Amino acid sequence: MNLYEHTIVARQDATTSQIKQLTEKYSKIIEEFDGSIIQTQNWGLLNLSYIIKKNKKGNYIHFKIKGTGKIIKELEQNEIIDKNLLRYMSVKVKKFDLETNYFSNSETTKRESDKKSNV
Amino acid sequence: MYRKKKTNNKKNRQSNFAKLSIFQPNKYKFKKSCPLSLNGAPVIDYKNIKLLKKYISDNGKILPSRITSICQKKQRELSISIKRARNLALI
Repeated sequence: MNLYEHTIVARQDATTSQIKQLTEKYSKIIEEFDGSIIQTQNWGLLNLSYIIKKNKKGNYIHFKIKGTGKIIKELEQNEIIDKNLLRYMSVKVKKFDLETNYFSNSETTKRESDKKSNV
Repeated sequence: MYRKKKTNNKKNRQSNFAKLSIFQPNKYKFKKSCPLSLNGAPVIDYKNIKLLKKYISDNGKILPSRITSICQKKQRELSISIKRARNLALI
């Protein structure tokens, strides 16, 4: 069993329900191949640093998976065809860092600073 | 005697010195230790964009370790994680 980090970038005009569907679709595939999802993170709508398929922003979904290499092969086969996705990437890691979430933290601090400025 | 000592020291220390440009004479090198291999240094990760942005130029190129004085091992990790972040359009 290996540990993988898997990230998907969905189109900017995907609705929240569509994003939910995507996460469900890919988590089902993982479960079919005897893998287990240790964590899913929704990074939300982030600015892309360059335009991909006429998109300036993208919805990022991040999985932390425990399983065999078959899962990754199956996931990527499905993701190539998927028209709602812009990019996907899977990285094999030795250890999961479950505590730090680099993207939610920055958002919350931004919101807090906005609130303070409004007050 | 004095001269001999000086040259020996220079030879030994040479790997620890950083140069800003190739044409900079050896006199003006300055010493710096690798900022990413200290105790309590941040972990290099493709998700940690704040850290990665410190080590790329304004045009998005990876800065050479000659300028940033990062050790070889960490520079390799950095370049891999910068390329991963580029692929996801984070940088």
